[in-house]
Amino acid sequence: MDRKTADRNATDRKVINKKLNAFVAVMLLIFLILGTRVAYLQIFESERYRTLARENSLRLISIAAPRGEVYDRNGVKLVGNRPLYNVSLVKLGQSKEDLEPLVQRLSQILNRDPEAIWARIDDPSLRRYERIRIAKDVPLEIVSQIEENAVNLPGVSIELEPMREYPYDSTLAHVLGYIREIQPKQLEQYNDQGYRMGDQFGQDGLENTFEQYLRGEKGAVQFEVDAYDRPIRSLGVREPIPGNDLHLTIDYRVQAAAERALAAAVQAAQKTGKESRAASAVAIDVRNGEVLALASYPAYNPGMFAGDVRAAEAEEVLTSPDRPFINRAVQSSYPPGSSFKMITAIAALESGKITPEFTVHDPGYYWLERMYTCWTYPRGHGNVNVEKGIQVSCNTFFWTVGKMIGPELIAKYATDFGLGSKTGIELNWEASGVVPTAEYKRNVVQAELDRRYNPQFEALEKEYGPLIESAITDEEKGRLTREMQKERARIQAQYDRYAWELTWRDYDTLNMSIGQGYNAYTPLQLANYVATIANGGTLYRPHLVRQITSPSGEMVYEYQPEVLRRVSVSDENLAIVRKGMSLVTQHGGTGFGVFWDFPVPTAGKTGTAEVVGKDNNGIYVAFAPVENPEIAIAVIVENAGQGSATGAPVAKEMLKAYFDLDVQENDPRAGRVNQ
Amino acid sequence: MISGRRLLRNLDYSLILVAMMIIALGLVTISSASTSTGTGQGVFLTRIVGKQLISVALGTVVLIIIMFLRYEDLSRYRRILYGLNIFLLLAVLVSGHEALGAQRWIQIGGFQFQPSEPAKLIMIITLADFLARREGNLARLRDLLPVFAYVSVPMLLILVQPDLGTTLVFFAITFGMLYVAGARPLLLGGLASGGLGGVLLWIWGHLQHGIWIPLKDYQISRLTIFLNPWADWAGAGYHMIQSQIAIGAGGLWGRGLYSGSQNQLNFLPEQHTDFIFSVLAEELGFVGVLILLTLYFILLYRGLRIASQARDLFGTLMATGIVSMLFFHILTNIGMTAGIMPVTGIPLPLFSYGGTSMLTTLAAVGILLNIWLQRQKIIF
Repeated sequence: MDRKTADRNATDRKVINKKLNAFVAVMLLIFLILGTRVAYLQIFESERYRTLARENSLRLISIAAPRGEVYDRNGVKLVGNRPLYNVSLVKLGQSKEDLEPLVQRLSQILNRDPEAIWARIDDPSLRRYERIRIAKDVPLEIVSQIEENAVNLPGVSIELEPMREYPYDSTLAHVLGYIREIQPKQLEQYNDQGYRMGDQFGQDGLENTFEQYLRGEKGAVQFEVDAYDRPIRSLGVREPIPGNDLHLTIDYRVQAAAERALAAAVQAAQKTGKESRAASAVAIDVRNGEVLALASYPAYNPGMFAGDVRAAEAEEVLTSPDRPFINRAVQSSYPPGSSFKMITAIAALESGKITPEFTVHDPGYYWLERMYTCWTYPRGHGNVNVEKGIQVSCNTFFWTVGKMIGPELIAKYATDFGLGSKTGIELNWEASGVVPTAEYKRNVVQAELDRRYNPQFEALEKEYGPLIESAITDEEKGRLTREMQKERARIQAQYDRYAWELTWRDYDTLNMSIGQGYNAYTPLQLANYVATIANGGTLYRPHLVRQITSPSGEMVYEYQPEVLRRVSVSDENLAIVRKGMSLVTQHGGTGFGVFWDFPVPTAGKTGTAEVVGKDNNGIYVAFAPVENPEIAIAVIVENAGQGSATGAPVAKEMLKAYFDLDVQENDPRAGRVNQ
Repeated sequence: MISGRRLLRNLDYSLILVAMMIIALGLVTISSASTSTGTGQGVFLTRIVGKQLISVALGTVVLIIIMFLRYEDLSRYRRILYGLNIFLLLAVLVSGHEALGAQRWIQIGGFQFQPSEPAKLIMIITLADFLARREGNLARLRDLLPVFAYVSVPMLLILVQPDLGTTLVFFAITFGMLYVAGARPLLLGGLASGGLGGVLLWIWGHLQHGIWIPLKDYQISRLTIFLNPWADWAGAGYHMIQSQIAIGAGGLWGRGLYSGSQNQLNFLPEQHTDFIFSVLAEELGFVGVLILLTLYFILLYRGLRIASQARDLFGTLMATGIVSMLFFHILTNIGMTAGIMPVTGIPLPLFSYGGTSMLTTLAAVGILLNIWLQRQKIIF
């Protein structure tokens, strides 16, 4: 027997019992306190609480807060709120027969199928006394009809809900994003932030990124209702607090001009028989990275999620093969074509392997084991230096230079200018793009090889495996095995021939120097890279929101320009490239045809990127004015043909809007100035 | 093992009876809380009641198994138990099921298992052993430090879930057991009030001067809203107000089973778990409340009697720990629903809906019964 199981001595027990008695006393005291508190509530205050709970008459209804509004840089309201009327019904315990005439009347007033109304009433997830939303966003006539017939519509009520309003419909849709009822997954993720089923939630664009600023704070009202659920007396209201307003860097005029011009460019391309379906454009203030316009075509109307009425429209947009929801300016990356040539020029100049005077003679083609033709072939550009190379977009010049300096150096400068990496703009799902490297090519080709040949090898196994297995004679078995090996060798030979592509080859370098091949960048990256050339080498983080203000006008957040880095390029070399770009719009340049009559001197670069199996993408990048530049632009029109013919006119319209060259009468800024 | 006949002769029948009555009253209240007819009539066996009955049955099996063991053996497995506790609490952090902003559950098959419930019981067992070994060596503050270190590992794991309520239960258990184990009452009282005062000061400093605090805003508002629930009556104060309306509306005799409007119309939140007491108070009135409080008092009193009669200090301390745990649960839960304590989300033992809690509490009752059975010296 050990010490622990031994009987404890008497004094020990006495001490412990004394302590346990004190424990009992404390417990008794606390129980008395609890009992007294409950007695106070149930006996002395009971009348008051009974009144509050009487006849199940307390209702708590939350009041949605109006979301913050969105303005452009000049105070033009881009997103506002309007009141939205919903029709709701509270079941007061009536039987189905009792409800029948009510539903009939409702279906007449709302012009809806009674079955649809029944479906909402019979929703099994609803509890008694819960409001059933019968119709969302009904017009005012219906609201007044229901109010006139209130006596015949017991339990039916009209609720007011603030709803998003877009004065310019689809303008800036991709940047603004849209709101919609919070999705179950989002509800789970944000459950400690006070969201409830049915709340609105920013789903895309700035509505999503700035959700926490825009949402405001819900209010609530608790009131007593009578047996027909009509409010008798309010017991208290907590007013909702509206969300904060966003003030964007976007210039509505430039944005609207860009969207109009993109649509026109796509339509014009279609008229010439091209299969163009989409386009996008970006404009950036080169002095601080403020995004002046960011447009993607086709667009959608973010207001279509507001009511039941437009559900069909939403469905159509969601399933359209043109995918209007994609913000092509930041989510799609494209080969930049010749708009990339400034990078090759900068890399070559910085490497010291060429001087500004370095000249290549272009006979119209370039020879490296085989003939590569310049775009003017059979004519050539004659003697071309770097400035002229940019002006006339001479492929032969850039092939020669690219071959001299190699792909790594080109990649280094592309990366330095922010190409191939996310800019960090305030939008989700930004694409990063690709600066080509030997490793990247190897991965792509390997994936393609696997995709193409692995199934063939597997099919072969599948075909011959069972045959060999079930062969009866050894001779048969041998024959089948040989046959299979022969077949495998044949596929292997094909594989090996294609596997030659795994290695970076000279023509990859050539492709890379003129912006083709594996190069892929977003229009936003292109605009930002041109902005960096224009402003003398400062790479800013592009951004869309300048300020956030509270409903009472206090500053909540103010954006300061963010310098990502200074590119490691000398001022002289940047000046040479800018000179080359300014010559593009001069006589002999590839942009002259569009810009010859433009009153502000602009600089640019055309690009025409080959797309496998489709028409070429037309690209144009620009900055202006040539001296002390303010704005940089990138435009891509998908499958529309040459950049000079398709992209450049869009850039011109945007510059016109920016420089106020033809203010239209319905322009909001014109109105604003008059006020 | 203990022989069947001796067991039947020596059982603490009053404890068993009281526990059964609390469970029965709980089942009736849960039945009302899980219906919403509002007609004064209801079917007893709702889906929720069925699930609770399964928990009671499982818990009874656990209770009987525990009764047949020799509780001294538990002290031999202290390291394994302590390790298991840490493992379960880590598991919930790693693969926990998130609900209401906290990770408290592990999904096992179709069941949600909440390790912080058995963690309390395991902690009581291991701590009782730990303290029994230090008998007579707990007078100075220095002696208490290893005790706090021993307790703090599982406690911190629960705190980071975050489960503030259960963390506080750990404090209550530790202090209750230390008091009986022989720590100086003055020292314990000083530590408890000092700690409480410090936390209050910290929260006050955070609210007034924005001093950093390792709590989220919603946790702080839950802790402080009981002082004035009407200040945020539609938000953080909503639970408290609706609960008080329910209790107050019950009056002396209650509004009748299945007839409380606060409950039946779902104004009461979480009415079959954390706020089950309000349902009882609304529908069975002050009379029902008095019955429940009396039953609880008898339960706890029997527990302390078992502590005083235990054969050894290990048994005494386990019984004390269990009583401290149950007592603190009752105090905080009823205090919360009646609006005199913060909202902590602690269930009412044997009464609230919840499988893990029911199983753990019945296991705890099994330990009490076991200690009582072995109160006399066994002669081999």
